[in-house]
Amino acid sequence: MNYAMVRRLILKDWYLNRWLIMASVPAGLASLAIVLTGKPVAFLLCIILLCMIIIGVGAQLAMATTINERKEQTLAFVMSLPVSWREYTAAKILANLILFLIPWLPLTAGALCVLLLPGATRGLVPYTAIMSVEMLITTCLIVVAGIITESQAWTTVGIFCSSLGLNVLGYVFAHLRGISRYMWGAQVHWSPTAWFVLIGELLMVPLLLGLTFFVQSRKTDFL
Amino acid sequence: MHSDIVVSQFSGRPMYLQIMDQIKQKIAVGDWAAGEEIPSIRQLAVSLQVSVITVKRAYLELEREGVIVTQHGKGSFVAPDPALSPRLYEEELAQHLDRAAELGTSLGMTEKEIVHRLRKAVDQVSETRLEKENS
Amino acid sequence: MSDICVRFTAVSKKYPHFLLDNISLELPAGSILGFIGANGAGKSTTIRILMGLVRQDSGAVEVLGHSMPADQAAAKQKIGFVSEDMRLYGAATLAWHMSFVASIYPDWNQAYADKLVRRFDLKPQQKIKGLSHGQRVKAALLLALAHQPRLLVLDEPTTGLDPVARREVLAELMAVLADEERTILFSSHNTLDVEQISDRIAFIDRGRIIDFADKESLLDRWRRLRLVVPATAALPHLPGIVEVGGSDRLPVLTTSQFDPSVLSLCTDRGATVQAVDTMTLEEIFVANVQSRRELQPA
Repeated sequence: MNYAMVRRLILKDWYLNRWLIMASVPAGLASLAIVLTGKPVAFLLCIILLCMIIIGVGAQLAMATTINERKEQTLAFVMSLPVSWREYTAAKILANLILFLIPWLPLTAGALCVLLLPGATRGLVPYTAIMSVEMLITTCLIVVAGIITESQAWTTVGIFCSSLGLNVLGYVFAHLRGISRYMWGAQVHWSPTAWFVLIGELLMVPLLLGLTFFVQSRKTDFL
Repeated sequence: MHSDIVVSQFSGRPMYLQIMDQIKQKIAVGDWAAGEEIPSIRQLAVSLQVSVITVKRAYLELEREGVIVTQHGKGSFVAPDPALSPRLYEEELAQHLDRAAELGTSLGMTEKEIVHRLRKAVDQVSETRLEKENS
Repeated sequence: MSDICVRFTAVSKKYPHFLLDNISLELPAGSILGFIGANGAGKSTTIRILMGLVRQDSGAVEVLGHSMPADQAAAKQKIGFVSEDMRLYGAATLAWHMSFVASIYPDWNQAYADKLVRRFDLKPQQKIKGLSHGQRVKAALLLALAHQPRLLVLDEPTTGLDPVARREVLAELMAVLADEERTILFSSHNTLDVEQISDRIAFIDRGRIIDFADKESLLDRWRRLRLVVPATAALPHLPGIVEVGGSDRLPVLTTSQFDPSVLSLCTDRGATVQAVDTMTLEEIFVANVQSRRELQPA
């Protein structure tokens, strides 16, 4: 595997999407700041905005780097370069992951910090962490859909289903006894259930991405 | 040097023949002297924007006719004694004579005077040839 | 003996409505192969298989000594590719593309790239989306030429270009050939361009290579004969007749196997040869394809 080439392709995707990524961080931090006004509705607003920004960036990034490459016909240009299909797939997967982490890490950290402020409901920390990783998985799912289906229609379906799934899982997790019992408390409590869910989620990321790589390497027609 | 060969896809005459004609003419008028190096097949192909295979064919035919020689590894040269068809020289001569007649007449010379000058020129050529052979 | 730069051996690829059937060809280094075919004939598919972008169902493809598509990354180090349906990134500038490509190929020649920018009349600071079609084609060609690849694979490089741009592009392509180790394969609708600069020509129709020959012998073999046949005589039976046009008394025969002895065959039979016309590459291609289609209607 030509790592130098993979690196260049990732940098290329960064360059083409830099404004999107760079704008999302201050936008997300601004929505976090809303919570600091102290009003209860601000809390709700913050959550909604934050979710929109994070999922929005993830979905847009996935679309721009996978589906649009084909739609805008730049795929032929990239594949005319000295790169194999495996390297291309690896670069797409890594680019999406790394570029998504650029807003996701600070915003997740920011959200957790806000929850650790005096007066905040610290019990929400595990749940927030879990939902944040859930959004990471959602983005991975969209990337998987984009890379494997190579179809705008199916990827849009993927975005829709993932968002739906996010809501459903949000509800489910919030009602798991191991989590719901401690969610509204003043202490941060990591129950075994919470750990279990979190670790399960974190394992999903490499699983999904590895699956993508595997499926793609079995294809014979890309163009 | 070789960019003044001009060929056309639309003249109806096969490209390699056009190239052959123009090379022979260049030799006939003295642009390319006997024994002088001429552009390689590739060089000419690039400057004419014509396929290498066409120029190669022209060169092969010219070599077969004895107009040029190709030395492997060294390049291509006008033959020391290029066997150009008399027709080309004929055309050259006709053009020069016409011009001489025109010029002489506009200078106000009589026919006799023009013929006299021609005779002098022929004598001069013979003299020069003799000198060359003796030296 | 020059190396074989590209070798296709019995390559086939099946699509739901199209079959690329048993393609075999060899392209020696230092030459230009012109690929002529109708739309949908299989030119682009063949080129994609050559580049490793599509995997063939059967047969072997070897490019610059590398087996395709398995070894495509290594082969593409020395290949420059421009295709009609290829686009550059609209939001980025030409300058960005140049530095991107330059960072990938060690043989990138910046001086040559700058010369091409001037020659092609391009502005590096301009975004690709602001370029006209012709400028985009030239930009893509610049990127392919500037890293001095051993093989240039071009799918319709002059299509859609104005006459001046076409000449410039042809001049640059020929300049590549000054180096006898470099090779060009290009497909084009523009038969005049193909006729002018190709050393070898391949005709492709309905997924098959219907002719593969060096250009001079191809142009030598094909002739259109105009005869005058007296009422009493029959049409002379000549080898390689592909088409018979005109009228009974004034037939026009198109032959693919002409040589001077054919003329005496005609006169022996009492026919007068009025004219022996050479044919342009386009006429040869059309005659070739039409006669085959008549024999094998789809």
